[in-house]
Amino acid sequence: MATIIRRLEESDSLESFDCGDEALNNYLKRHAWNNQRKSSIGVTYVAVEEVAPGSVIGYFTLATSSVARDALPKKQVRGLPAYDLPMILLARLAVDRRFSGRGLGHALLSEALRIALSVSEQVGCRCVIVDAYAAAVEWYARYGFIPIEGSKGGSVRMYLDIRTVKAAR
Amino acid sequence: MANPARNRNARHRSKSARKPKFQADLAPIEDGAVRSLKEQLQLTSNSDFLSEAVALFQWAVSERRQGRMILSESASGDRRVLVLPRLERVAPESALPHVKIDWTDKELESLAQLASSEPAKPTEALFRAIRE
Repeated sequence: MATIIRRLEESDSLESFDCGDEALNNYLKRHAWNNQRKSSIGVTYVAVEEVAPGSVIGYFTLATSSVARDALPKKQVRGLPAYDLPMILLARLAVDRRFSGRGLGHALLSEALRIALSVSEQVGCRCVIVDAYAAAVEWYARYGFIPIEGSKGGSVRMYLDIRTVKAAR
Repeated sequence: MANPARNRNARHRSKSARKPKFQADLAPIEDGAVRSLKEQLQLTSNSDFLSEAVALFQWAVSERRQGRMILSESASGDRRVLVLPRLERVAPESALPHVKIDWTDKELESLAQLASSEPAKPTEALFRAIRE
């Protein structure tokens, strides 16, 4: 299966996308395009098959964020530069159920991390953050994401140092 | 009388001025596409073809690097945006918006600890993800 990962386009066919999670389906179908084009809240990258280039079979959404240095506990900031901590948020990542088990999640995460590397070289980025569903924590951990303690709600916030990603090149 | 030093310099200059060779294995379909493009563009040599292709690619990379979109427009105003995954990699900084994340105090403490620690070594899966 030749898969292409590219930025979401308005003409993409999203209605048949089903990853088994209503919130992730709904985001792609109802909000991803507006958030990318109008609100600039996140940029969504989609996976499509070469034979059906308009039909989305997986996606992830990225945004940048930062934590003000003042917000970090004083006793722990000594080892950090005297600036806000820039980061990339991997806001969502989902694969259509019909294509699960084929390595598409790996391909999507790989592309997201390569973009993170590229961003880190152009505008600065210290880490990649993901809010992982509990069931996906182990999967992200395989790539080196470390759980951040103190997450509340149903997801686990995880951290991947960009220096670790750079070392993997 | 021959001057060995001058000859050596001349040989050195000729060596350094040698043009690098570029060789590519093309699938039959790609070979056909190259031949067709050369014919349409009235290019006779592969070097000229490569030179034109590099110039076009350089321009496209430069435009996307600046955050400009590349699009074509028909006479009726119908627009098509060029989206090449490789090209998108050079321009994410202009397209990734900034959002605010809500952090708990405990999360900030954990984040600061992680960020100020030595980075972990890449896992096998991460190596595969980045190098594939």
